[in-house]
Amino acid sequence: MTAAVEFDSEAITHNRRSYGEPAMRCAATASAIVILLMLAALLVVLFAAAVPSMRRFGMEFLTTSAWRPNSLPVLKMDARGKPIRDRRTGMKVVDHYDPPRFGALAPVTGTAQTALIALIFAVPLSLGSALFLVRIAPLWLIMPVSFLIEFLAAIPSIAYGLWGMFVLGPWMGGPARWDRVAGLVPMPAGIESRLSGFFMRISGLHWLAEQQIGGKTVPIPTTGRDILVAGIVLGIMIIPIITAISRDVLRSVPPAQIEGTIALGATWWQSCREMLKYSRSALFGAIILGFARASGETMAVLMVMGSAATIAASPFTAGTTMASTLAGEFPEAATNDLHRGALMELALILLIMSLAFNIIARYLVVGKSARTSAAH
Amino acid sequence: MANIKIAQAKATSQIMYGVCTACAVLIVATLVLITGYLLIIGLHSLNWRFFVNLPQSDSPGMRNSIDGTIILVALASLAGIPIGMLAGVYLSEYEAKSVLAAPVRFVSDVLAGVPSIVVGILGYELIVVPAGSYSGWAGAAALAFIMVPIVARTTEEMLRLVPASYREASIALGATKAGTILRVVIPSATGSLVTGAMLAIARVAGETAPLLFTAVGSPYLVHNPSQPFPSLTLRIYELSNEPSPEAQSQAWTGILVLIALIFLVNLSVRYFTRQRK
Amino acid sequence: MFRFIQASAAILTMGVGIAAADVQIQAGGATFPNPIYQEWIKDFGQVHNDIKIAYASKGSGAGIGGLLDKTFDFAGSDAPMNDEEVKKAQAAGGDVVEIPSVAGAVVLAYNLPGVSGDLKLSGPVVADIFLGKITKWNDPAITALNPDLTLPATDITTVHRSDGSGTNFVFSSFLSTQSDDFQTKVGFGKTVKWPNGQGGSGNAGVTQTVQKTEGAIGYIELNYALAQHVSFALLQNNSGKFIKASPESVSAAGEGAVKDMDEDKTLAVRLWSRDGDAVYPISSFTYLICYKDLSYLKDQAKAQAIVDFFWYATHDGQAKAPELTYAPLSSGVQQRVEQAIETITFNGQPLHPPK
Repeated sequence: MTAAVEFDSEAITHNRRSYGEPAMRCAATASAIVILLMLAALLVVLFAAAVPSMRRFGMEFLTTSAWRPNSLPVLKMDARGKPIRDRRTGMKVVDHYDPPRFGALAPVTGTAQTALIALIFAVPLSLGSALFLVRIAPLWLIMPVSFLIEFLAAIPSIAYGLWGMFVLGPWMGGPARWDRVAGLVPMPAGIESRLSGFFMRISGLHWLAEQQIGGKTVPIPTTGRDILVAGIVLGIMIIPIITAISRDVLRSVPPAQIEGTIALGATWWQSCREMLKYSRSALFGAIILGFARASGETMAVLMVMGSAATIAASPFTAGTTMASTLAGEFPEAATNDLHRGALMELALILLIMSLAFNIIARYLVVGKSARTSAAH
Repeated sequence: MANIKIAQAKATSQIMYGVCTACAVLIVATLVLITGYLLIIGLHSLNWRFFVNLPQSDSPGMRNSIDGTIILVALASLAGIPIGMLAGVYLSEYEAKSVLAAPVRFVSDVLAGVPSIVVGILGYELIVVPAGSYSGWAGAAALAFIMVPIVARTTEEMLRLVPASYREASIALGATKAGTILRVVIPSATGSLVTGAMLAIARVAGETAPLLFTAVGSPYLVHNPSQPFPSLTLRIYELSNEPSPEAQSQAWTGILVLIALIFLVNLSVRYFTRQRK
Repeated sequence: MFRFIQASAAILTMGVGIAAADVQIQAGGATFPNPIYQEWIKDFGQVHNDIKIAYASKGSGAGIGGLLDKTFDFAGSDAPMNDEEVKKAQAAGGDVVEIPSVAGAVVLAYNLPGVSGDLKLSGPVVADIFLGKITKWNDPAITALNPDLTLPATDITTVHRSDGSGTNFVFSSFLSTQSDDFQTKVGFGKTVKWPNGQGGSGNAGVTQTVQKTEGAIGYIELNYALAQHVSFALLQNNSGKFIKASPESVSAAGEGAVKDMDEDKTLAVRLWSRDGDAVYPISSFTYLICYKDLSYLKDQAKAQAIVDFFWYATHDGQAKAPELTYAPLSSGVQQRVEQAIETITFNGQPLHPPK
């Protein structure tokens, strides 16, 4: 991997007297170590809390989608199958309690789905806008538009959650319902739904409208509180990060690169593509930061998405993400070691998943030896 | 044959030109929609009392929360930005001959994705419980934890964009590596570094979950960080859970004030760090 | 420039700050009673200028957790402490005192445009609705209870709380007493697995979802429903009467619980499914909890302040309850509460000795 500094500046400069040199090196290295220590502290606390859950569920935690934090009483039945009542109090007698069960499958798939939708929505928009700001916009337009996009970054996550809950969700569950194929032409509701069903069947898209519950195929009620809306809200939240960084990255592409491609006869778009390819490592960094934000967002998803521990292929179902389950249930689970442990285990799984995703994605997208301008 | 390809390429170029413009327009339109909604709902409760009164007065205000957010974010930045930037310098400038760089980069990206409530729990277990009380320091520490990875990675990427020729020239002129970093590399990337710092500040100023378990909020005017500390986000969260329409209206106003605050900081920092030609 | 900084610093620090000699109490817990707790803290603070209490509304579980960690000096909780929590408390600081401060109710909000008049429901019917056994509004079980209403054939969409909450605890406990099936299939707890329906975050989320979905039914707190003008159903109580939730019908439930308080020697008794003609069936207390022996605080003024606040809340403060749509404690309950407060000690001495 070529380094940012191609030549060994330290070998050249080590004779120059300076007290700043070792100080700078020390400070920089110390800060890097601080980051590692931060992870260590996080892992220690999470592991310590997750032990009860790990011990109880083991690997099964990763494969089951059950999520029941309370114990269920199993009543003592008599020979006729009716519950026995205690003679003195009149209360039904409990035989034993079915202990709580937790499983990470639903939150994990929910996180993957929402983060994916957020990226699909945000990355093209962000890169497009960054290109606009750097290559299209007239000088007087750049500042205002940049500030407007950074304004989006200033909106707190609670505000996005409330906006998604009060505005976007109802809109997408109502006037903008995707399955209202014939919605533009007024017609009786019965005919409308039959037309929609017909179109979906012949296009093979019917899986978008159905889900399996207990082995049966059930139509999904579109309420606008689903994974798609959560994904879109997350996408809007990460647009400022990706756009702002991409804008600065693309702005730093040496003009010589661009002029060179144009001299070779490239069209505008082809020279843009060269810019993107040139800076793909830095752009990738921006996208990863956006992805990190999307997968770790708690408040907004909690408010926008009806949480349900179900798994379905369609993005029009309710679901839950690891972060929102954590945020929603942790305050009440503070005293229950098993419940708390399961939530902390979710956090650990999120960390490990992020790490794996980062390593794989970086290798695939950026490759082993791609570096940006410094190498040129 | 070649003419068709050229025509195709030209057409694609025209289309993509329009697409990119449309992207920017779409984003600005979304922003207008969201801000418009926030303004319409939030301006209702906005008056001067909001900025002067405390929550317990008859006409409740958010003065203590405003002060609280400013102090918390300032404290968090004092720790988070320097550490983050130095780590970014490490990743960008000292990467050669270093085994730490790649792991630190991955760890940084992973830490950027930790749910903010987990950071709050971390702060609770490590600072609040041993100390026996909630405090502004714990809150600032949790916010700094969130800031460091963002600042580190953006700093690294922005410093990488500085052409190697700058560094070579500086060394050739007799500077040390540290001098090069401080006087050549960083100044030439100032605008971009500020972008990273502003993104981090905007992020933490709007966070609620980490503060729920560390600073926990307060109805009083508190300026001592060793005590439970108020914050706009905590107050907004508390109000949005209350049933009365007045409380919810106040929550929206709080959101508006918070956004304005963050934006003001952004504007002023950009003004003070602008490149004077 | 310097003068400007000085002046603004002076202006910024004006107001009710915390002086060094003040007694500071940090509490937290249930979100349901937060509005009235904040009122009480404000009024109490006006009489006792040097006592600064702060209550953080984070949730019942976080409240008890804070009490166990001793980061909270007292906690608020909608659900009484369970055995596991009591054991942990005993290990951390000894026995605890749980006293009811006010009572509230959980009501069923519904969205049926075109149906005028109040909907009437009964416990078993509600349980079956939330179990998914009753799926349409014109099901015979519902129409039997509402002979004077024409109910449409719309599908019922149930809305539950997606976050853990004391409201969940109360509602699921109530349904567990009304239906064996519910008790064994869903059970009760602060977080349970609902077999169907939509989830909403907080009262606001549930209300939003109900209001935007035709044919939806969800459970929210009474004071939320009243403040937001949401229509909710009448519920049939143990005597067969259909009661609309109100501070009066909830206080009636409290009075019916007094005999259990004496028998079980605890004030943390259930308030739902109580007998009585005027009782609303889904009522519940919310509790203030602290350790019985406050010596660990090492500050007698602080301990005294806590006890004084508890006394204020359960006596003078009760007058504020109805205007904020909470149900005040009935006299029988108040007597038991006084007895409980009198057991709180510091260094062996009771802090509020019986007169």
